[in-house]
Amino acid sequence: MKVSLPNFSHWFPIFLAALLPALPVTSSEVKPKSLRIVFIAYENPDQLLENVEPVVEYLERTLDLTVKHFVATDYAAIVEALRNETADAGFMGPLQYVMAHRQAGAYPLLGEIYNGRASYVSRIFVRKDSGIRKLADLGGKTIAFVDPISSSGYMYPLDIFRQAKVLEGAPELFFRKIYFAGGDEQSIRAVYNSFVDAAGIGQYSYNLLRPAERDEVVSIAESRPIPSHCLVARKGLHRPTAEKLQKALLALNDDSENRHLLKFLYNVDGYVKVTHADYSEVEEIGKSYGFIK
Amino acid sequence: MLTPIGRNVVNRGLPLVCAMGIALCAPSSQGHIVPPEDLHPTAESFRRIEFFLNLNPVPWNLVAEDVDLLETQLTLIAPTAATRFRSAVGGDMDLIDPEKAETPMDSGASREAARRVFRESTMAVAATLLAYLDSAEHQLKDTRTASSGVETARRVWASFEHEIRYSDPIAFRKLGEAWLELSSALLMSVKAKDEANPGAKVAFEEAATSIRDYVNGNFGPGFEMSESGRLRALPRGSDTFQADAAIPVKLPPGHNMNKQLPRPRQLLNMAERGIDEKDTILIALGDMAFDSPYIFGEPARSLQISCNTCHNKSITNPGFIIPGLSVRAGGVDVSSSFFAPFANNGHFDPLDIPDLRGIRFTAPYGRNGRFDSLLEFVRNVIVNEFNGAEPDPTLLDGLIAYILEFDFLANPYLENTGQLNEEASEAAHRGERIFHQPFDGFGGNSCAGCHVPSANFLDHRRHDIGTVKGSGPFSRDRALDTPTLLGIRYTAPYFHDGSQTTLEGVNLWFNDRFSLGLSEAELKDLTAYVETVGDGIEAYEDTLHTLEAEMEEFSFFLSAYEYLRQSGKSELIEITFSTIALEIHAHKWDVQDSAYLPVLNLMAELMEEASNEQIAGRTKAVDAIVAEYRQLHDEYADRLK
Repeated sequence: MKVSLPNFSHWFPIFLAALLPALPVTSSEVKPKSLRIVFIAYENPDQLLENVEPVVEYLERTLDLTVKHFVATDYAAIVEALRNETADAGFMGPLQYVMAHRQAGAYPLLGEIYNGRASYVSRIFVRKDSGIRKLADLGGKTIAFVDPISSSGYMYPLDIFRQAKVLEGAPELFFRKIYFAGGDEQSIRAVYNSFVDAAGIGQYSYNLLRPAERDEVVSIAESRPIPSHCLVARKGLHRPTAEKLQKALLALNDDSENRHLLKFLYNVDGYVKVTHADYSEVEEIGKSYGFIK
Repeated sequence: MLTPIGRNVVNRGLPLVCAMGIALCAPSSQGHIVPPEDLHPTAESFRRIEFFLNLNPVPWNLVAEDVDLLETQLTLIAPTAATRFRSAVGGDMDLIDPEKAETPMDSGASREAARRVFRESTMAVAATLLAYLDSAEHQLKDTRTASSGVETARRVWASFEHEIRYSDPIAFRKLGEAWLELSSALLMSVKAKDEANPGAKVAFEEAATSIRDYVNGNFGPGFEMSESGRLRALPRGSDTFQADAAIPVKLPPGHNMNKQLPRPRQLLNMAERGIDEKDTILIALGDMAFDSPYIFGEPARSLQISCNTCHNKSITNPGFIIPGLSVRAGGVDVSSSFFAPFANNGHFDPLDIPDLRGIRFTAPYGRNGRFDSLLEFVRNVIVNEFNGAEPDPTLLDGLIAYILEFDFLANPYLENTGQLNEEASEAAHRGERIFHQPFDGFGGNSCAGCHVPSANFLDHRRHDIGTVKGSGPFSRDRALDTPTLLGIRYTAPYFHDGSQTTLEGVNLWFNDRFSLGLSEAELKDLTAYVETVGDGIEAYEDTLHTLEAEMEEFSFFLSAYEYLRQSGKSELIEITFSTIALEIHAHKWDVQDSAYLPVLNLMAELMEEASNEQIAGRTKAVDAIVAEYRQLHDEYADRLK
């Protein structure tokens, strides 16, 4: 599968990773009796739990382990689950990964691929009939983001304004009001419904609108590439188990019998191995904007 | 940069925002498939209850199911309120006879009961919403539990949102901001962890109060409905309520109007003969009308229902369903109070959607063969089933011309006589002999006596085989038209009411009902035979990418323009333009390379503009726009796929 990473600098660590031990060496020597995986729910948590059942069954068969799965509805909970070791691995965005890495030594196993890319972008959406055509028009207006620690739903959208030199001080001084809607769909719907003037969210949020609604909303700017969401292991997870988990999901890329399971995993096209170095730019932006201390 | 879009688009001054939006969505071969709304069970049940209670007669058995669900959901968060709700509606629900699907049409008692149940259901939904909101507010220290409560309350709020959006747009926005404020305050608290966040708490409480006051004031214990007209949860207590607002009709949760994928392969006889579709003007007009909701009246028009919605590419749409109007997918009651109230026959009689392939051979029309003339049948569909205006004779002629072109699928196992050839399996040949065998249970007739192989497996007669529940013990209202067996593999479910899901089930039913005495092996052979007769070459298209074919078809629609212009058929021209615009908007999300979305948008805009110019009588401007549309299509045809 052809994969495009965010920029050239991300290729190097991938090549390097092939020459080095794939995963950190600091891990438990004891094989766990079960593996606990936490999923982030972007929409209906109960539905997600049901949807991933076939994936869990596949992992149990492949890893020869009991796999327990649960859902978190906000990003902070995911980071916390890895930190306090209530989860062994979790699906999360790049900023949450960097936080989990810095706070608890978590490390990434796999990056998600959509449309042949292991990256995506954030966009600033407005209503087509709003008269807003450029970022500067949003001064003194309201905006919805997803979550205060979301990569594509806050940090990168803010970066769009900063890169364009529209926003230099605190965001609260530029916008009249900032909301955190709690999800991609809530954010894009907040624009569609005119609850806010704009939303800063990941590009695929647009698809959460119904076809007849999409024409009402347009993008006026987009961010630099963001490494896609990733599967992350907690520090200390039994290394062979982490490797088997990585291999089992990576195998879905070319496994015609089980490939359909990918649609239950956030409908990804496949996975690619990643290392911490793939997230260096995220870490750098996070630090510069105060998301990471 | 607009590289793929080209000169025409730029010349028309496409706004920059559109150009920037060219890669907004991931390409999808199923972009025109509309997913169901993700609603909370309470909102789902309430919206269905509203739909059911406005039908005449009311399907009380369905209402009862959703009342139970409302109660169950309310019990989870407010048991006392749930008990009160059950007690309030219990009297009306107890009157339901579980054996009956409906009460007598429009009885005063039924209308009064409907009003009471709707009022109580509305208040139960409000109670559910407020209980979750209160629960969240009381657990603000546990932000995750509070977040869950807020999210549930917001999803229950969707029960009322549609009406508020249109009848109280000011409050709709204000309360939309309040819901955002709630989630925002909680997420800020999560971020702040244990640190005190008094600002967020105050913001939460203020937003919660505004929502609580609105819900209580409009849908709480004082909730009242208008004395007449549709039962609706309208915010009559709001200062900004607009009593005269038009509220679009909405179908109940659980409905599905998506067409099937892969798409059935349509066979038009003249196209099979190699005739260019653009040379068959009347057929082109009929093709457009078949795809157009604008030949129907409300509510079908607003819901964008056309002939093609149910008879997708001429065959049954097996997924079509509207709760309250359908018993199961693939069927609908078109003589109910919903689509054309004036033509309501007063009883629930959904029919399986028929396959239209080979329709020129299958008279009489309608499941009970009530129309000998296809022309009369089609007019009745437009005017009396879907509330349309009396159709222009040319349009009606066009529809008939088009429909008459629908061919059966070619069947490589059948001779012209309808007999199986040597390509058919042994089992099918054994089944053929059973098919021709006289049975005592059939009064000495055989299956072939009605499904005459040499006559496309028809006898053009009506028979009572015992599948219809009549109006009384000795009534003579149970006969149904003999259906063809050609193409039947692709038209499940079966029988007039879709009660049999498989052909095997159909044969079993006949065996039992008429005591045919067929063994299990014989039944298998008979099923093999029917499946073979019902088979066809390439029943479905081999691609999920349908945009290119659709765009070609829209050009075909437009080929009738010059004829209609010469004939002075202004209204038909307008319908043609509006239909093409609507169809492009519906199918454009299928485009594989989203860089061409602006081209599709522009083509739709051209058709909308042409429609406006046609209404204004500026024919030269219309000519110019049509020429521009055709030029765009020619230029981009190989990329709009």
